[in-house]
Amino acid sequence: MVGTEKLYIMNGEIELESEYWESNSDKSSAVIICHPHPQIN
Amino acid sequence: MWNNVVTGVFNTFIQNDISCLRFNFRAVGGSTGQHGDGEEERTDVRACIKFLIEERNNKKIFICGYSYGAAIGCSVVNSFDKIIGYAAVSFPWAFMGSTFKERAQTDKPKLFIQGDKDNIAHYNHFEKNYNFYDEPKKFHIVKGADHFYVGYEIKVATYVLVFYKSLIS
Repeated sequence: MVGTEKLYIMNGEIELESEYWESNSDKSSAVIICHPHPQIN
Repeated sequence: MWNNVVTGVFNTFIQNDISCLRFNFRAVGGSTGQHGDGEEERTDVRACIKFLIEERNNKKIFICGYSYGAAIGCSVVNSFDKIIGYAAVSFPWAFMGSTFKERAQTDKPKLFIQGDKDNIAHYNHFEKNYNFYDEPKKFHIVKGADHFYVGYEIKVATYVLVFYKSLIS
């Protein structure tokens, strides 16, 4: 895959803005990164 | 979505050809909904992990969270067997309360990264909180870094990457 994939992941009716990169060599494991909250830190 | 610490970790994983997802919690950036009390945000993390498992067929998931994202993300570590561990950058134990600290307890591998100038996730509380967690665990203190890690992004990302690789290999 070239570049990252911008997508919205559904949590019920909530759309979560996301960006995903899929490895070219290992498609069996992945990392999820959770952002800070801009109003909370 | 463009926090410097998260971007540093994300780009480092991409450069090492490791599948990686980052997302905004509800009501942040382009995500819809309203801010919850942390419980709803925990369901956001689970939804993203379900996406990685069910739609992208990943067998192993590693969580990395920064600040609020560490408290929420690491608190779901025991929700799926496929989660292999986590890295918490500046876990805000003090202002998130004991619930998230306790929910992040696990027998899975854990990495804690902390700046020694952090006055939000206070450095002087680090040792006491770190000692709460069972093995296996590791930590790195980033000397000179406050809560925002400006200029230390690559160092933080490298710590996370090395720890992740130690679990996968």
